Formats: sequence, C-alpha cells, structure tokens
Amino acid sequence: MLELRNVVHNYPGTSRAALQGIDLQLQVGECLGLLGSNGAGKTTLLSLLSGVLALQQGELRWEGQPRLGLVPQQLAFYAGLKVGENLELFADLYRLRGAERRQRLQQCIDICALEDKLTRRSEQLSGGEQRRLNFAIGLLQPADLYLFDEATVGVDAASRQQLLAAVEQLTADGKAVIYTSHYLEEVERVAQRILLLHEGQVRLDLDKRQLLGDDHGLLLEWPDAAPTGLSELLAHLQLSAEVLPKGLRIAALNGQQLLAITEFVAAQDGLPNLLRFGRPSLEQLYLRLNGGRL
Amino acid sequence: MRLRALVRKEVLLLLRDPHALAVLFIMPTLFLLLMAGAMSSYMQDKPPALRVIIEAPQDDASQFFSDALQAQLADSTLLTNSDERLARVRLPADFTDTLLDSPHQGPSLSYPAQFDKLSRQRLHSAVSIALAQSRLLAYLEDSGVVDAELSRAERLKLVQQRTQSQINEQEQLASGDLSGRANATQLSVPAWLIFGMFFVVLPMAGGFQREQQSGTLLRLRCLGLNLGTLVLSKLLPYFAINLLQFALLLSIGVYGLPLLGLPALSLPGSAVAYPLLAISVALATCSLGLLLASLARSSEQALLLGGGINILLAAIGGIMVPKSVMPAAMAQLAEISPMSWALDAFLTLLVGHGSLADIAPYCARLLLFAALCGMAGLLLFTRRVQRTQWTTHY
Repeated sequence: MLELRNVVHNYPGTSRAALQGIDLQLQVGECLGLLGSNGAGKTTLLSLLSGVLALQQGELRWEGQPRLGLVPQQLAFYAGLKVGENLELFADLYRLRGAERRQRLQQCIDICALEDKLTRRSEQLSGGEQRRLNFAIGLLQPADLYLFDEATVGVDAASRQQLLAAVEQLTADGKAVIYTSHYLEEVERVAQRILLLHEGQVRLDLDKRQLLGDDHGLLLEWPDAAPTGLSELLAHLQLSAEVLPKGLRIAALNGQQLLAITEFVAAQDGLPNLLRFGRPSLEQLYLRLNGGRL
Repeated sequence: MRLRALVRKEVLLLLRDPHALAVLFIMPTLFLLLMAGAMSSYMQDKPPALRVIIEAPQDDASQFFSDALQAQLADSTLLTNSDERLARVRLPADFTDTLLDSPHQGPSLSYPAQFDKLSRQRLHSAVSIALAQSRLLAYLEDSGVVDAELSRAERLKLVQQRTQSQINEQEQLASGDLSGRANATQLSVPAWLIFGMFFVVLPMAGGFQREQQSGTLLRLRCLGLNLGTLVLSKLLPYFAINLLQFALLLSIGVYGLPLLGLPALSLPGSAVAYPLLAISVALATCSLGLLLASLARSSEQALLLGGGINILLAAIGGIMVPKSVMPAAMAQLAEISPMSWALDAFLTLLVGHGSLADIAPYCARLLLFAALCGMAGLLLFTRRVQRTQWTTHY
C-alpha cells in the first residue's frame, strides 16, 4: 500500500541529510516497528508520510488515496473541551456520520476506557487519561495507515495492554500501522517487522521473527571474576562466548550444553550474580545493534 | 460540517475562558462606567455651579458689581464670607472712586489649588464683564444720562441692554475631532467600547498558539483541512463577539448610565451608520488578531504583543486621553491609530449627528486597515500552518 524509494530529505542549514536514500515498503495488515535513537530520522520519515513535509527527492507511492490516522506524541486535542466534546469535534472533522459515527465513537471510548470521563474537561484528566484520549482521537479516524508516535507514554500498565491490543486489532482488520516507541517491549509485541534507522539510513529492516531468531542464549555474571575452569569447559563443549568484564555471554546453545554449564556453576563455591537463559529481547538486540544507544 | 464544528469549538473554548471573557466584556464595561463617572463633572454639557466669596465695600457701585457678577454666574453662589477654601473676588476699598480711572486697577482674584482651569476662566470672564458693566454705569452716571431715580436693578437692566447684542451662533457639526464637544458619556462609551473590541486579538492569538503547541494544528493539517475553513473558523466567532460587545456596551450607555445618575447615551444620526461602523471595527480587529496570531511564537508572546499594541493604539488614539486636550503634534500622531478612526466616526455620529456619508471615510480607513492586516495575516498564517512540524520530545 505504500512504497518509498531512495527518499532523501535535507533540512536547510544542516550538513547531513536527515534521510539518506530510504527504501521502504509497507503492506496492508502489516505493523512496522520504527526504531532509532534521537536524530536517526524517525520524525522526518513520519512527517513525510503524514504530508507535513514535502517530498524533496525520491519516490513516495501510495496505493490509492492515502487516509492516515495519527496518534502523535503531543497531546493533540483541545484541553478546554470536555472529553466527549473533543471526540465529537474530531468525529465531525473526520466526517463521520450516522451509524458508523456512533459505532466508531463507542469503540474508541471502550478501548481507551473513557466512558466515565466523557463529561470531564480534558485538561482535568490525569496524564495517562489524556494520553488515552489522544489515542482515541487517532483511532477514531477511518484510515488505511495509522501512525503511532510514543502513543502510550504515561499510560498505566492495564490500559497500555488494552491500547496495544487495539493496535493489534487494527492490523488484524487489514490496516497498516507504523509504530514508534522507546518502550521496545511494546514494539516487540505489536510489530511484525522492525525498521531501524541510524543517522538517516536504514540500518536494519527485518521480519521480527527473523531478527529475534529461535536461538536461545545464556548470560552469566559473577561478583568478581568468572571461576577458573570455565574457559576449558566452553572449549570442550565447542562453544564460543563473548567475554564480559565479570562474566560471559553465549549467543546460542543447546540443552546438553546448558546442562553441562549449570552443573559446573553449581559445583562452584559461590553462586553467580546473574544467570539468564532465553531468547534475546528486542531491547537487547537493539542496544547491541545501535551501539548501546536507545 | 467541518466549519460549523470548528466554530462551535472556538465558541466553547472562549466561553470557558474566564480571562478572555473578563478582557472582552468586564474590562471595557468597568472602564466605561468608571471613566464616564470620573469625567462626568469635567466633561458635562452645562458648566458646574461655582461657590465664590466676594469681598466688597458697602457702596452702590460695589453692590452693582456683585449683582452684575451674579447675573453672569446665574447658577453659582456668591458668599460674603466662608471658612471654606473658595475662590475669592476682592474689590479695593476705593473701588467706586477709581472706576473711571485709566489705566484701571480691577478686583483681585485668588483661587484655591483645587479650583480647575476651566472654572478659573469662567470666573475671570464673568468678573471682566461685571467690571465692564460697572465702569459703563459709572461713565453713564458721570455723563448725566442715567435717571437718578432708577433702582439698582433697573440700572443693571439698562446696562445689560446697552452691552448685550444678539449673536447668531451656527454649529457646523458632523465629522472631525469632536472629543472637545462630547460629554463624558459620549466620549467614554465609544472609547472603551472600541478598546474592548480590539482586545479580541488576545484570545484569538493565544488560542492559535495553544493549537499549534498542543499538536492539534498538526492533526488539522494532516486532515487536509481547507485553509479558508481554518481561517474562517477563527474569524467568525470573534467577529460575532465584537458585534455582541458593540450592542452590549451601547446598551449600557443608553440604559445603564442613567441608573447611575450619569447622562444617557443617545444614538442620533443614521441608523444604518451604526451597523456599518460595528462591522468595520470588527473586521479591523479580527484581521489584526489574525496577523498577531501568525506573528507570535508562543501564548506569552501573543499576550504581550496583543496587549502592548492595544494599549499603545489606545494611548495615542485618543481613547485614554481625549484628542481635544492633546497638543497639536500628539493629536496629529493619533491619526495613525485605527482606534482614533473608529472613535472619530463614533463622535461624528453621537456629537456631530452625522450621516452615513460623514462616517464613510473613517469606515473606509478601517476597512483598508482590515484588508492590509488580513492579507498579511493570511500570508503568514498559511506559512505557519504549512511549517507545522511533527515534533518529537523523546
């Protein structure tokens, strides 16, 4: 539904292009997790997609007329209006009428748990409630592509689960989603594909399963230093490990190898500080790929 | 549908903003009442009654002078003595004997500090006339043309007949600076009404800044909302507010001020002229509001810029100080303020009983101002909307 080819964007007065030849394709029903540290080009990319910035160089192709739903990072509603008035206003602006209007309004109110807040002035809501209203207004819009930018900051854990479920439902309904957040566990949950931007370039664009893989790794840390004999054991098990200041990380190992290592650990006098076995999280991968920067 | 929704939103936001309502309705009403009351004794159609002490020898000529002075100051009280600090007219002891001297030494006048300049001028003129009449009577008596049997009252009547002429006065009313002719009501009501109307620039500009800072403008922009719809949604509510202010404050002038013992405002002149003037001022204020909304970069800046410009325009435009008491250079400078054009148009109607044609030049200036501010505002507004960025804080 959307294709970008060699998109370049320069801001006046800057030496480095904010986007340097971005290629991207997005299909219907796909959720793309957009990651990158500050200045990586996420905002510029979202601005181009939403039409806020004009395309300078490259191609931006939409399948049909683009209809966008936005949940920006800012609380983009009228603080002086009541929650219900804000929703009604945007329903008017989205040209929603009749049964569709009623249905979408009720759906957004339910998802964002705003039923008992409708008559309250928006400025009087808590930070998390305001964030939910912001989310609801974006969700209210009938669109083919939804852009979520740090949409759940300050939302309590229970509400967040509900909002993330709503994002998942959008993709299940065949809508495309671009989701950007510094809560990487959220991206890991909702996105099927991860796009990592670094200094205006696509550093990585992979299917999430492909990125995270099926390999299970092991992380071990001791209070002081790794016990003697561990290196020999690893060599015997034919495992290569990344040496850390007080321990080691093994990228992938099987059950037999894990058992041998845990027996070795249990036989030592002191227990390790940390022993973690499992698939690496997106956050771990991201930090590794992005040089430790969030 | 979209325009109606946006206009409704602006109205709701305005109705829930107590500061904006205070600035638009309470502030001009209070100014109007306070200033009309404060200026009521100074700027009244009839001069105030004076209380004056007259110290005069007990002789016929001095008594005649007192009668002549009382005739000049008909509503005033002449006292022979008082402990109050009052203006004092003192006749010399040899007043009768020196009446025909030339040069002549007249009575001496002394004023307390609070005796205002206009009252001094009035008293001085009345004393001069009474003295001239006294000297004329002395001359006539000396020439033997006055019947010695005439009473003092008859002598005064005779002298008055000899000194008074019929002066034909014709007033050329209508346009021009008429603030010197206006009473307190005629000056205060339009002045503070205009001042209040111009204050729509504050909520207009402030609301736009909040819209941009909160990101709602980004949402509106991404909706592909027509720019004309967006501008109209800002202008229409404030235009209506301006018309409401106009009607409300004029009503206070007509019906409210008499309840406080102040002269009522009458609305003479062309009935069509008032709506035309209201529309012209409203277009000027809304266009200025649009321009300031586009120029300011924050709510604080909008407040300072809007408030500062309004107070400056009012100060130089004869709103705070009537142009009639300004020096010529300042009165000339006032001509650059749209508030001055609006006030002159009002005074042309209220004081000059002018017609539609008489206020047309002022309305034309206001409409030209509206067109220029509107075009500049529209241009800058378009650029501001187009430059709205997707902002990220994290």
